[in-house]
Parts: sequence; C-alpha cells; structure tokens
Amino acid sequence: MTAGRPPRQGGVGRLLLHAFAYAVIVFLLLPTVLVAPMSVSPEKYLQFPPSGFSLRWYGEYFADREWVEATLFSAEAGIISAIGATVVGTMTALALVRGRVRGRAVVELLIIGPVVVPHIALAVAMFLVYEQLRLTGTLLGFAMAHIVLALPFAIFTVLAALYRFDADLEMAALSCGASRIATFRHVTLPMIAPGVASAALFAFIISFDEAVVSFFISDLDRKTLPRKMFEDIDFDVSPVLAAVATMLSLLTILVLVLGHFFKQMADRRAAPAREGKTP
Amino acid sequence: MARNAVNSEGRVAVHDLVKRFGSVAAVDGVSLDVAAGEFVALLGPSGSGKTTILMAIAGFEYPTSGRVEIGGEDVTWAPANKRNLGMVFQRYTLFPHMSVAENIAFPLKMRGIGRVERERRALAALETVRLAGYGERRTNQLSGGQQQRIALARAIVYQPRVLLMDEPLSALDKNLREEMQLEIKHLQQQLGITVVFVTHDQTEAMTMADRVAVLDLGRLQQVGAPRDLYEAPATPFVAGFIGETNFLPGRAVAAAAAGETLAVDLDGGGRVAAVAVDRLAAGAALRLAVRPERVRLAPSAGGLGGTVVEAIYAGVATTLIAELGGERRVRARIAAGTGERNWSDGEAVDVSWRPEDARAFAAGAAG
Amino acid sequence: MSARRPSAFFLGGRHLSEAASLALLVPFALLLVVVFLLPLGTLLHESLLVPAPTLEHYERVFAQPVYLRVMWRTLRIAFYVTLVALLLGYPLAYVMSRSGGLKLGLMAAAVLLPLWTSVLVRTYAWMVLLQRNGLVNEGLTGLGFVDAPIRLLYTEGAVVLAMSHVLLPFMVLPVFSALKGIPDDYPRAAQMLGASGWSTFREVIWPLSLPGVVSGCLMVFLLALGFFITPALIGGPQQMMIATLVSQQVREMLNWPFAGALVGVLLAFVLALTIAFNRFIRLERFVGTRS
Repeated sequence: MTAGRPPRQGGVGRLLLHAFAYAVIVFLLLPTVLVAPMSVSPEKYLQFPPSGFSLRWYGEYFADREWVEATLFSAEAGIISAIGATVVGTMTALALVRGRVRGRAVVELLIIGPVVVPHIALAVAMFLVYEQLRLTGTLLGFAMAHIVLALPFAIFTVLAALYRFDADLEMAALSCGASRIATFRHVTLPMIAPGVASAALFAFIISFDEAVVSFFISDLDRKTLPRKMFEDIDFDVSPVLAAVATMLSLLTILVLVLGHFFKQMADRRAAPAREGKTP
Repeated sequence: MARNAVNSEGRVAVHDLVKRFGSVAAVDGVSLDVAAGEFVALLGPSGSGKTTILMAIAGFEYPTSGRVEIGGEDVTWAPANKRNLGMVFQRYTLFPHMSVAENIAFPLKMRGIGRVERERRALAALETVRLAGYGERRTNQLSGGQQQRIALARAIVYQPRVLLMDEPLSALDKNLREEMQLEIKHLQQQLGITVVFVTHDQTEAMTMADRVAVLDLGRLQQVGAPRDLYEAPATPFVAGFIGETNFLPGRAVAAAAAGETLAVDLDGGGRVAAVAVDRLAAGAALRLAVRPERVRLAPSAGGLGGTVVEAIYAGVATTLIAELGGERRVRARIAAGTGERNWSDGEAVDVSWRPEDARAFAAGAAG
Repeated sequence: MSARRPSAFFLGGRHLSEAASLALLVPFALLLVVVFLLPLGTLLHESLLVPAPTLEHYERVFAQPVYLRVMWRTLRIAFYVTLVALLLGYPLAYVMSRSGGLKLGLMAAAVLLPLWTSVLVRTYAWMVLLQRNGLVNEGLTGLGFVDAPIRLLYTEGAVVLAMSHVLLPFMVLPVFSALKGIPDDYPRAAQMLGASGWSTFREVIWPLSLPGVVSGCLMVFLLALGFFITPALIGGPQQMMIATLVSQQVREMLNWPFAGALVGVLLAFVLALTIAFNRFIRLERFVGTRS
C-alpha cells in the first residue's frame, strides 16, 4: 500500500468513487466473461444461463478442418512474427540507446508509425502492394505485416529493459577484453532477457489476434484465425465462435501471466545493481 | 602474483591531449607521462577533465587531438577491449547474473583461456584480494567493500600492464575507504602494476599516489610527489585546492626572479618578505599564499597588526581568524600540545611568517 | 608509430560507432520501407497521380453529402468514445493510483486483460449481448423497461458503447501512470495549506495528471478514427464509419483512387495529431503497469 496516502476525506465521496471504479472494472470484464458459460451450453443457440454443460462446440471446433487450419496458420505466423519482431526490435533498441544515430527523430517517428496510422489504412495499402508482389495469403506476407505491427511494442519493451540496465556493466565487460558481440552475448542479453522475452510474447499475441490487416491480405485458402472468425461472425452468431472466443481469452490470460512472470524476473535482475549503486 | 615485473610495458603517456564536447574543452592540452609500476592519481574538482583523460586512456572516449600511448605503442584509436588494461569503476559493475568466481574468470574467458586454468587463476586472484572462499557467492550477497575488492580481482586477474581506477572508493563509507586505500596501495606495490587513479579527494590522492597530477578546467596545474604539491604548489589553484591557504594581494617592491626572496607591499598596508614562484617585475601585482599552520601570532608590537575575530577549537588544532583591516582575513592554525597560549576574540595581534613560508604568485597566474 | 585517426564513422568508444548503429537499423528500415512506407505511398500515389495528377478524388470526399456524412459520423463517434473513455477511465485510474499490493494487481489485470484480448472476441461478446434476444434485451424486458426487445445492434449508441469498451484500457493506463507519478507530498502540501479534498484535486492532482489525460485521449481518439472491426460488425452499413467506407470502396467497388483519397484524408488528420502530440505517445505503458 502506498505509505503516505492523503488522509481519508469525505467518506461518502470516497465510497462512491470506489464503487464507480469497481463498476467500470465489471464493465471491462463482463462481456468476455459472459461468453465463457454460453460456450458450454449444449443448445444450438447462445443461452444464458446455459441449460447444461457440454463441450460439444469445442469438439466441433477441433473437428472442423477450416478452424484448425486457420489456427495453425495463425500460430505459425505468430511464432515467426514474434521471433522477427524481437530480433529486429532488439537491434533497433540497441542502436537507439547505445549507438550514435543521425536523424533519431525520424527513426522515432517511424517507430510509432504503425501504431498511430490506422490499421485500415495500412491494411488496404498492403493489400494493394501485396497483390502486385504476390504476397497475399503467404506466410511471408503475414509475417512481414505482423512484424511491422508488433515492432513498436517490441522496441519499446526492449528499450525499457535497456534503460533499466546499468550501462557501466558493458564498459566493464569491454575493459575485461570482451568484444562488442561478446559483451552483448555474455552481459547485455542475459540482463535484458526478461524484457526480450516479454517482447516476443506480446509480439506473438499481437500477430495471433490481428484482424484488420489479415482481413485484407488473406486469400481463399490461406487465412488466419481472426479472419475466419470475422467471416463467421458476419455470417451467424454460432456457439462455436463462443468456444473460440473463450479459448482466445484463456490464451490472453496465459500470455499475461507469463508476461508478469518475466516482469518479476526483470525486477529481480535489476535489484542487485540498484542496491550496489547506493553509497 | 608478484610476477608483473616492472618494465616499459606498463608505461602510460598522453601527449597534448585535447577533448572538446561541442565548444567546451573538457581536456585542454594535457601531457602526462606515467612510468611503469608508478601510481599516479589524477586529482581535481568535477569538470576538471580527470575522468575524460582516464576514459581516453581506457578507450571509452576518443580525443579531439593528441595521442595516448601505452607501453610505447600508440593506442589512441584502439578499441577499449584491445588495450589489455584493467579497470575498476566508481560503481561496482559486477555482473549480477554471474557468481563471484564467474565474474573474475570473465576476462580470462574472453581471452580464450581454458576452464581449468581460469578457475585456478580466479581462485588465486580471490586470495590476492583476501576473499578466498567467496567464489560461489552471488554478487548481491556481498558488502560494498567486498564487491569493490571483487571488481579489483577481476581487473588484475589477467595481469594487465596498467590498472585504471575511476573513483573506486567514493561509494564506500569513510572507515572502509581508508582501509581500502592502503590495501590497494599495498596490492599495487606487490604486483608492480602501473595505476592511474582518478579522485576528487586530495587526502586519498596524497595517501595512495607516488605522484599526483592536479587538474583544473581541463588543464594540468602541477604534477609531483604529494610533499612537493603541498610544500611548493606551482599555481595559486594548487595552493588553494590542496590543503588550506591564505591568499593576500600585494605588489613586488623590487624585481625578483623565480625562487628569490623579495619584499612585498600588501594591498591595504604592511610590508612582508616572501619567495617568488613566478618571475616578478618591480611593482608587479601578485598574490601571496601562506599556509595557516605557518602563520605565527604574537602580542601586538607594531608588526603586521590585526584583531582576533574568531577562535575555532577542533581538538587536534585550533583555528584563529585574524582581521588585518580592509576586509583582509588571515587564518592561523595552532596544533594542540604545542604549548601556544590561547587567544581570545578581540585581542590585538601581530601576524607574521618566515619568508620561505610565503609564496608569491604573479597575479595573472592560472587559477 | 603514430596511428592515423580513423574515420569517426567507425569509432565506438563507450557507445556503438555510427557504422554499427546504422547496421543495426538496417532490418528495421527495410521492413518499414517495404511494408509501411511503400504501401502507403503507392496508395496515395493512386489517389493523386493515376492516371494523371488530379485532386478530383479528394474533392469527391468533401463534395458528396454521403461521404461527408460518414466523415462527420466518424469524428462524432470518435469524440463520444474519447469522452466516455475519459469519464469511465479517469476515476478508475485514480483509484488504482491510490491502491497498492494485491488490489492494484487485480485492478491492473482487469485493465490489461481486455487490452490484450482480441478485438474480435470483445466485439463478438458485445454482439451476443446486444442482439435482439441477447442478455441486454432480456434484462430490459425482464425489468419492465421495455415491452418488447428493441433494436440495439446497428445503432450509433451500440457502436459508441462497444468502442469505448474496447479502447478504455488505452485511456486508463496513461492516466494511471501520470497519477502514479504525482508524489504524495503534493496533495499533502495542498491540504496543509488548507485546500479541501475537492480543491486539492482541482488545483493539484488534475493539472499534474493532464499529460496522461492528453496521452490517453490522443490514443483513444486516434484509434477510434480508424477503427474497423467493431463499427463494421456492430454498426453495420447503417452506421458506416470511414474505415468501413474504405473497405467497401476497395472490396466492392474496386475504386482504389477514391479509397486512397479517403486514406489520405485520414492520414493527414492522424499525422497532424501525432506530430503535434508526439511527446505524449508512450507505448511502453501498454506492456506493463509501470511506465
């Protein structure tokens, strides 16, 4: 708890404020939480509360080749994007923090570009170019698009890790005779590893859940999971979708738990260095 | 580990070193020669350029002009990891993801030395810094002093020709700092290694170094043995920065060459004798520098007269402040146990010193 | 014996040399050029220069009432969404900033979880809730507010509601980190000086949290302007926003130059806002709870 919080004022006002905050949290969580029970209903249409418990719709998902193929394709694209975004993001962050970069402002503007430029604009533009380059529906095409979308988050995550890390350790390694590459491998990378791992994690989920660009650069036989969902939602509100939505929510929880774990690891790594700094 | 024989391998020299950051010269034409096996301290206030010089020797900063030589070889543009120097930083900079032994073995690993040999040498280095048995510890289980000793072990384990130290003791508390000063000094003598040591603490510099290089505003003020710096400061800055000094403005009565005794008319009245540091023309403006412990006080008898305005008792010594009139104040220090009489506020006194204890600097002299 | 000074381009020292830095940036630059700048450039090129230089497509965007209505609706919805997100998000962020330990952890999880949950999943959940025989209608009829299920989907209100929900975390996180950054001493000092709880908030906390508010509003507004999934599914053709219009032009009309012009207008808007408020965009806030 924050040690010195201001003295409690106006009991009623404070109560109302907290009640409101909790209401907002319920608002945030409720829609997704309500879908989970509906997904285990045995009925053909969505029902709340469910009339019984059945994994029928989950079974249907796993039996449907189209769903499984879309999921596998998304997973492939997600893993490649995670690796790509992490490697490129780490290189970029290193250049920005440790390097001498002319035109730094331009680089920084480019980094936030894929976040602030509406995805619809990018999606349509990529569709236009991908058609000419024959990249629509290809793994390479998806991976490149998703890497660019995930890069800003990957770069900022690694940047944050680099800023927390004591740069004098790199000087110490160099003075010990380590080359730049050995310094990175033996000192910098182990120290920022938790940050790099969370960058990979979040890049994966960004790619796996990405819907807008995928909607445009998919083709008939190679589509990602979100694209398949989009088509089905437009078609009918089937309970299979509720099952998929529930599984995706569980995946997000897994990712956040892992991310939290990496963050704690990073905190532990930063702790001794901080301790050493205080005289 | 005393096999680092003293030879020219360990010589460090900088020639006409200039380092500009934008329009500001952090180092402004410094030349310094450190003999092999010598312990030299770079001493100065912050912004004096001492750390920049160290960084240029280490290879973490490249000079705007000038040269850096190690062992007679020009290394001005060599990368830091190719200079084979040992370095200890202000913060402990131990790698937190490695054990103590792994930290010490790291430079050996980078030199492609096999595991068995690495472990043997790391253990020997641990013994050298009197931390045998600490090899398996995590670095965050060590105290500040222990961490700095491990950093030292890591810097000497590969027997570099030169050890660079950037204020390595400033993070430690006073008692530990004094203990480490002697320990580092003894280790340096035992290993016969060249040490360049940056500090802003004059006592530390004088305690540890064979020679001290005093820097101010990027310029070298004086290099010399601690005793020379204190007894014969070359510039008013050195006189003021090392120990305490009374400065009194005045004019030369007659021309004097450096080293000659001359008579000085003090501004505000009074004629005293002093030794000229710079060559002085007749009537030239000068600054007279006298150490407080060289100032003698006597009951008023028509000499350079003043009034005691404050007596500060501090155990080992008592400092008296005498006002000479015209805003001029002189501090006199009387060591305890000298049988000197007590002076009290408002008492009229004569202030004097031996001519050889007063040094006259040309008024325009640097600092 | 004296070595020649190498080109500064290759000198590293404490930092990486310019050459090494440049080399590290090559993959980033390549990707951004090929998958970001080149596509956007090609699309704008279509809208301005094909087959001959013309502003005709841009004129059409502003001349036709149909399109003007879409633009106006987009701005209006983005504004409402930002407002709703601020009204809901600020109090939550404030309570979070005054909490710690487990309570803060759970609240942060409640904000981060939706942020990282697929937009499709959340939009789908809203469709389920808002459909004719969905939970909301059941509740409304059950409580007797309405006699028969009313149409909720494909209304502007539904779009604003769902988009506010989807974008709310983008408001909460920056505001939270701004509020968290205010040292407790400031409100305490204000109270020592005689300020009441409300005036402490108005005179001290609110002004100091403004950078976070600006950052949150900017993020939400920017994202809302170009939002595609949620308005397309919840708003339908009746509540068409600019993104849906772009999609329609590309997929149904195959009118690339006009789609390009729409994107051009959208980009001009976004770029102006981004450059004006560049320093408020801090992405690291969306990855963890601490900035």
